[in-house]
Amino acid sequence: MTNFRLILKEIVQRKLNFLLSLLAIVIAVTLFVSFFTTGQASKDETIRLMRDIGFNLRIIPKKTDMEKFWKTGYSEHTMPESYVYDLASYESLSYAHLTATLQKKVFWQGREVILTGIAPEISPPGKEKSPMGFSIQQGTVYIGFELAQNSGLKNGDNIDIFGKPFIIARALSESGSKDDIRIYAHLHDVQGLLEMENKINEIKALHCLCIVNDKNTNSLTLLREQLTRTLPDAKVILIQSIAQARESQRMMAEKYFGFIVPFVIAVCMAWIGILALMNVRERRQEIGIMRALGYGSGKIAFLFIGKAVAIGLIGAALGFVFGTGLALKFGPEIFKVTANMITPKIELLYWALAVSPAFCALSFFIPTMIAVTQDPAFTLREE
Amino acid sequence: MVRLEKVSRIYRTKRGDIRALDKVSLHIKEGEFVVVRGSSGSGKTTLLLSIGGMLRPTEGQVIATKYDIYGMSKKKRAVFRAENIGFVFQLFHLIPYLNIIENVLLPAGVGKAKFSRADAEKLLKRLNLTDRMYHKPFELSAGEKQRTAIARAVLKQPRIILADEPTGNLDPENSAEIISHLAEYHRSGGTVIVVTHGKAVDQHADRTVYLEKGHIEKSSESN
Repeated sequence: MTNFRLILKEIVQRKLNFLLSLLAIVIAVTLFVSFFTTGQASKDETIRLMRDIGFNLRIIPKKTDMEKFWKTGYSEHTMPESYVYDLASYESLSYAHLTATLQKKVFWQGREVILTGIAPEISPPGKEKSPMGFSIQQGTVYIGFELAQNSGLKNGDNIDIFGKPFIIARALSESGSKDDIRIYAHLHDVQGLLEMENKINEIKALHCLCIVNDKNTNSLTLLREQLTRTLPDAKVILIQSIAQARESQRMMAEKYFGFIVPFVIAVCMAWIGILALMNVRERRQEIGIMRALGYGSGKIAFLFIGKAVAIGLIGAALGFVFGTGLALKFGPEIFKVTANMITPKIELLYWALAVSPAFCALSFFIPTMIAVTQDPAFTLREE
Repeated sequence: MVRLEKVSRIYRTKRGDIRALDKVSLHIKEGEFVVVRGSSGSGKTTLLLSIGGMLRPTEGQVIATKYDIYGMSKKKRAVFRAENIGFVFQLFHLIPYLNIIENVLLPAGVGKAKFSRADAEKLLKRLNLTDRMYHKPFELSAGEKQRTAIARAVLKQPRIILADEPTGNLDPENSAEIISHLAEYHRSGGTVIVVTHGKAVDQHADRTVYLEKGHIEKSSESN
């Protein structure tokens, strides 16, 4: 009679104990597999949603009169366009999605509009990301909702701005802000229209909060230090509401995962451990007779740890199947934008097959120690 | 064969110490059939488990087949038990999820003693259990269970059989049958030590030892 056969026969005899232990590990593995299978989609969807909130940093010329700035919405002063490249080349920069802009109120077709030039986004080396704002081709414009409505303009229409022809690439939907009276064009087109070559009056950026993990470091102070070192003629404004919304969202996801993982591990470990203890209690006389027949501690321990490993392996395989199934079934409904990123991840099966038996063996450790140390002389006399 | 030298065993409980064995000295010769009698709590089972290497005495020595068994490591003592001692208990202690032949073959996993499945089948035939070979313990009568336990104990041909109330749960007919199997083993040269209240064993015993409150009160040779 091999030890493996003994383990198998015991499992068949005490099906309920085995199935309940298996259930615990299946639940845990299912949870982790579904979580990690949808994890990248969830992360990307959060980033996408956060990105849609917009830029949270505005870098403007240092001598800007802030009262006027808040009144008009842009700086009356300018700075060289090269500043954006200088900033991007700074190695330890905690900004991303740098976008040089030039904006000015002008009269066009009898209306006051904000002509806004936007350069293609650039990112510091090694932090290249897909653009989060507009990427406008030269010779084309995006036109704000109010302007489009009032002038009867639509996508594909030709318009003339200060003698230069443009095609409307997009008539924007209503934003409920000053953006509804903007005309967006490529930076170089706007610089030409305003005769302000190589000039910008703002760099929009996204502060990468992930870089500032130290709670004692004030992120705005760090930003200002970095900016002073790179661009002494500029200053930075942090849009607190957007920054806080981003940080809260990110922290919430991290906190949630940070709570749920140890919680699931602790509950499953306790669950399996209690069932293993019950199993040891039920098998006291069996262990006693094995001792009397000459079975040593190692062999007795093997019977329990072997069972734990079997539970772990079967639980890992079932948990992977259920977890992947759940992720594929419900993931696309939850993460609609990034649904195509939800695919079975075979590496999770390898992880589950490695970690889950070890986890079960650890849960069985104390009960196994009790089994090998209990005195057979007492258990064999129990009725 | 087995020698106990001033063996004491004290159980320490919350309500005070219980001296189950008190400086017991006993010598059992090879091939002897010894019956141990005494009232409940007199120390009979403690004596048997101490001889079997299952219960370390608080003081004194247990020498079995020339070895001080409690001078050995736990691991060596387990091997010693596997090779030299067979146990039979009142409650049978069969493994519930193994069938009868598997229960009998359970000692196969330990020690050097060699025996085959065919040996086990032959033994079960001798004990009238051939048609029960693939049954689970819960499907057997008490007598059949105890015969299975005897088969498990004698299969590896140990030098000593220790039986603790082997007939305690059996009717007189089955008791007589179980004792006859132990006697048969004794006739083949084995040493048998039986703790019992029953009388069926008397006709086979070479000696009866009477225990009372942890002391040997009397030891009488049989004719």
